[in-house]
Amino acid sequence: MSSADTAITRDASLAEFDRTTSRWGQLTMGVALFLSLAAPLYLVLFTDLGITASMIWTAYLAVAAAFFVLWFVEPITYYPVLGPAAMYQAFMIGNIANKLLPSALVAQAAIGAKAGTKRGEFAALMAICGAAMVHVLSMLFFVGILGTWLVSIIPTDIVDVARLYIFPAIIGGVLVQLVVTMKQPRVTVIAVVVAALVLFVLVPAVPALAKPATGVVVLITAVLAWFLRSRKAPATPTTLVN
Amino acid sequence: METALTPEGLSTDILAIANMPVLWVLALGVFAAIIVQSLVYMKAARKAGPAAEISEEELKTSFRAGAIAAIGPSLAVVLVSIALLTLFGTPAVLVRIGLVGSAATESASASLAAGTMGATLGGPDYTQAVFVVAFMAMSMSGAGWMLATLILTPILRRGDTKLRRVNPALMAIVPAAALIGAFASLGLAELGKTPVHILSVIVSAITMAICITLASRTRATWLREWGLGISIIVGLIAAYIAHTSGLAPAA
Repeated sequence: MSSADTAITRDASLAEFDRTTSRWGQLTMGVALFLSLAAPLYLVLFTDLGITASMIWTAYLAVAAAFFVLWFVEPITYYPVLGPAAMYQAFMIGNIANKLLPSALVAQAAIGAKAGTKRGEFAALMAICGAAMVHVLSMLFFVGILGTWLVSIIPTDIVDVARLYIFPAIIGGVLVQLVVTMKQPRVTVIAVVVAALVLFVLVPAVPALAKPATGVVVLITAVLAWFLRSRKAPATPTTLVN
Repeated sequence: METALTPEGLSTDILAIANMPVLWVLALGVFAAIIVQSLVYMKAARKAGPAAEISEEELKTSFRAGAIAAIGPSLAVVLVSIALLTLFGTPAVLVRIGLVGSAATESASASLAAGTMGATLGGPDYTQAVFVVAFMAMSMSGAGWMLATLILTPILRRGDTKLRRVNPALMAIVPAAALIGAFASLGLAELGKTPVHILSVIVSAITMAICITLASRTRATWLREWGLGISIIVGLIAAYIAHTSGLAPAA
């Protein structure tokens, strides 16, 4: 076979890989998307709780106002690192920054493959498959089986207190973690000042703003952070939540 | 509280509906989708391996390296997930916190959604109806990430330069501002509740600060991924002690 023929079969082989991974990636992600929406929808439709559509849309708008920027920014940010095939894995398995990316880097280092090459892309893909298997099994066993059992034997007064204070116990840690990993002191100050003003001055004055308060904070913070940004420091990519 | 809710909707026995068998089946379906995807990808990678100049042995090494590197972070997610089981039940935790989302985004979404129902996440007014609305809202928000991935990946693949030419300063500042803004707002809102809520926020924040400091100053880098789990547990222990010693308003 001449070298031209080899190049053609190689291209064809890689093109087939791209086709297979994007077709199956989209299909499996579509199924996961459908199933993950079907679960709460089942509860809305088939339990007699008296939930109305307006309750759901109001709640959704409050959540979307806080997070819609990230829906688009995270895929765009991670694409150059992950490549097309791994994108469909990453946004289904989650915990990208703290688990999938480190796994991919370790694997590339283990076989001496550079990121951005085909070798690097394949190593990252296999590493994410490995990480996915470990993650799926540990979630099913330790959370699905052991965790459910554990909750059933913990005394109810402890469970009640845990349920009451779990959110403040999460938010304190998450906020510190975000502020430290982002290293954006200016944005942090703006965010805290805006949040304090909106929650403790604006909302008491205009009670109608209580529901979308977090969305209002996000919007004002983003606009102020943009116009008050330091024009000297070079932009560095940011660390995200998923 | 909204008036359309039925007496059942006002029950606070969350786990009675959160652990329904149908939800388990749907959750396991999401796990199955991930497993099928990985199997298809691995087969495709083995087939195209020679063309990518990567040997079967190297593919295996990569798989193993990725699996081993994921053990610590996965167990850290397990710890956080178990802490959230009483709030959302097992199926919702498995799918939302374990897979698609993260503890931070999903509990934030749930708290925002509960707020629109006039309720506090996990509080005495956290009824079945509030749980279902919160679960629905966080699933719809999580769908935002998946839809964006499904729509944007083919566009980015075609090498659409418009998306890549997005101002890098914009991509650095706006997401950071959105994230810190959202969580600062949620954190400050907790400070407006009971003294035990304030204590939980502060203890959790201090614990995280200690974990991060130790992780960067010593060789204990594992504290970086375990920080959140540890902060939640320490925060909850502080809350339990304060709550049972009567700091909380009479329930």
